Amino acid sequence: MGTDSARATVADPGWDALARVAAGEADAFAQLVEAHQDRLLRLCERLLGDAEEARDAAQEVFLKVFRKAGDFRPQGQVYTWLYRIAVNHCLNKLRRRKLVRFLRWNDPAEDAEASPFDPPDGYPDPAAALEARRRWQATRQAIARLPAGQRAVLVLARFEGLSYRQIAEVLGITEGAVESRLFRAMRRVEAAQDTDVSGVSPREGRR
Amino acid sequence: MNRVTEMELMRLLHGELPEGRARELRDRMERDPELAATYARLARTWEGLELPPAAPAPPGFAQRIAARAREQRSGGALSWTAAPGWVRAAAAAALVAGTALGVGAGSWIHRSPAALEESPEVSASEATFETTLAESYWDAIGELP
Repeated sequence: MGTDSARATVADPGWDALARVAAGEADAFAQLVEAHQDRLLRLCERLLGDAEEARDAAQEVFLKVFRKAGDFRPQGQVYTWLYRIAVNHCLNKLRRRKLVRFLRWNDPAEDAEASPFDPPDGYPDPAAALEARRRWQATRQAIARLPAGQRAVLVLARFEGLSYRQIAEVLGITEGAVESRLFRAMRRVEAAQDTDVSGVSPREGRR
Repeated sequence: MNRVTEMELMRLLHGELPEGRARELRDRMERDPELAATYARLARTWEGLELPPAAPAPPGFAQRIAARAREQRSGGALSWTAAPGWVRAAAAAALVAGTALGVGAGSWIHRSPAALEESPEVSASEATFETTLAESYWDAIGELP
């Protein structure tokens, strides 16, 4: 065990930093926050859909890490442990927020104003640019409306680039469950992309 | 296209298939336009998943958190367990009294005709919450493997 720990510590210097945090070294904690703040803030914002709320959440997560640093057992990567705390924290927040009702993202009008879309190059005519914009808005809304568990899997896979195994580790579920959630999330997003923001499928035509 | 095949295509898209199986599937796609079209559709959905870029950490973020952590460690934050016994006893008594008062007031309001007139609004918000809970329940059921 001791040998394993030593080898593992070499593999992930974050463990050493956590041990110093657990020993009460404030500087070590500041360094840990600095090393992971961008990643954790990005994750919280992807999960919560709001930058300000994400900052509060990330702060609470880091303070939780500070309090729990002594409980950490060196298994796997430190960021996996941090991600687990952050994801659980954000999912609890989402559930408290009456279960994944992202008001900011659910309002198409506000969405359009808050996030002006610059069509990338390659849209020669306005109709194609309009269609790209419609798809983009529909996708964002679909992501915002996903059940919390599916959203977490999607965010970790798509935006954090984690493998199924890593996601399973972070969320404490099986790889099969990761795959299944991801598949259902993709289905929902696809359905939303095929339907315009007013709920009409382009294939059906406008009412 | 059945679900199992689509899930396998999704694994291929995400680089989760063993190399042998991935090659096999790619070869099959060259002969099977339907399979290739499904893969292209999945890839298009995946690539289309975009969110606005996340905001970077504001300046001094780490230092502020470290300061708060120091505060907590030095006992700056309120700690329930650290409070003297008499404070905890007084708080518990106040809680019991408050609850009793709340229950009494609640049962009076429940019988009050004025409260009955206001109840549709209350019921509407309760109904919304119940709907949300019901939805979340079905979402949770839907997420079972």
